[in-house]
Amino acid sequence: MKSEVCSLSIKSTFAYLEFSAADFRLATHHSKLTTKVIRNKKNIFINRIIHYYVKWIVARQFHEVLLNDVEIDKSKSVLLVANHFSFWDGLILYCVTEKLLKKRYHVMVEEKTVHMLHYLKFAGAFSVTKKSRDIIESLDYAARLLDDPQNLVLIFPQGKLFSNYVDDVRFDKGVFRIMQKAQGKYQLLFASTFIQYFKHKKSTATVYLKRDNNNYPNIAGLKEAYQQHYSSSKLLQTQFDI
Amino acid sequence: MIEAKKSDSLSALYLRGISWWLGRNFKEINIMPFEAKPGHSVLMLCNHFSWWESFLSNYVAVKSIKRRWHLMMHHDHALKYTYLRYVGMFSIIRGARQSDSSLTYAARLLDDSRNLVMMCPQGEIRSNHETHIEIQKGTYKLIQQIKGPCQVVYNCTLIDYFESLKPRAYVHLFDCGVAGEFTFDELKQRVNDYHQQALLNQINMKH
Repeated sequence: MKSEVCSLSIKSTFAYLEFSAADFRLATHHSKLTTKVIRNKKNIFINRIIHYYVKWIVARQFHEVLLNDVEIDKSKSVLLVANHFSFWDGLILYCVTEKLLKKRYHVMVEEKTVHMLHYLKFAGAFSVTKKSRDIIESLDYAARLLDDPQNLVLIFPQGKLFSNYVDDVRFDKGVFRIMQKAQGKYQLLFASTFIQYFKHKKSTATVYLKRDNNNYPNIAGLKEAYQQHYSSSKLLQTQFDI
Repeated sequence: MIEAKKSDSLSALYLRGISWWLGRNFKEINIMPFEAKPGHSVLMLCNHFSWWESFLSNYVAVKSIKRRWHLMMHHDHALKYTYLRYVGMFSIIRGARQSDSSLTYAARLLDDSRNLVMMCPQGEIRSNHETHIEIQKGTYKLIQQIKGPCQVVYNCTLIDYFESLKPRAYVHLFDCGVAGEFTFDELKQRVNDYHQQALLNQINMKH
């Protein structure tokens, strides 16, 4: 068995040596491109500090975070699809993950944001650069993360910040690639977050969660399902007894 | 009812205080361009999403519309904050005969073109995501009693965070016409149309 492994590795080495110089340049160029993706980092000490910092800063900024209960399958990872209205929604959903979903939090964040806030990668953020080749690498990385049932990947399909008052949620195609790559390994969870003041000095964030077990053949089907959840959540938001 | 005993010097001091307070709690206050009609008092109708809009309306009244701010407050709340009468607060008891005296008092204030009265026609705190503004009959009763020229303005304040850590307030102001030149149904229609317009403007807001 050992000799088989050994021969395989030798063969692969020879195969590598047979690469032409042009191929090598291409490979080097490709590796340079792939290194642009900033991945989440593990450091037990920093992770813990960031964990308590995020919880503290969310508690300080908001009067409270309200959320509904949702049952999830522990044997599957979670792909969380949410609306993007602020820098805060990622942090609010971090707290929701920690409190309710009990999974390892990962979030796809635009590259410039991760660059600006270096500590985000210790809170589970990995980068995506829109309108570049790296986007494929980021999406595939997100799909690979979903192989582990302990993981949760948060995606904002809107791709950029929109007002909290939007009626129609725009969907970029990327999320569908993740779903295709990680098919059968994850469970889909919709989240829509709204901000409201009620009678308090600080605002209250309300997160509406819904598990979705359907398989969508295209992005339009997924968008329609999310839109339905978003609209019904928005309607509930106006029916609060204040 | 509690009548206002507005003092301009105390009001100026109070405005400085709330400007500091708003600055601490909001990233920015964006007032959409609006020109009040010269020589007209202003009746400002606000969407009541929080108690923050009373501070915000004071700021808008002085900085943008340049009128003396008065606030119509529910009597129960007014009892807790009686000191606010020195900056222009007066009270109203809802659903009672005494409300007539408050409405007459507000109309008298609006006879003076230097004044602005802020009121929340919804009568209670409603969601910021509300798409329909319910206007109580008292609003029109007040408008009917105004004798001087008075412009009715709808103030729709919407809160968004976008990139900032602190919330940003967006104040959308709309001219609903001059008192006495529209019916109650027309007023309701205009306020709701403008509310929809404000929501649309907010969705397309550059940030």
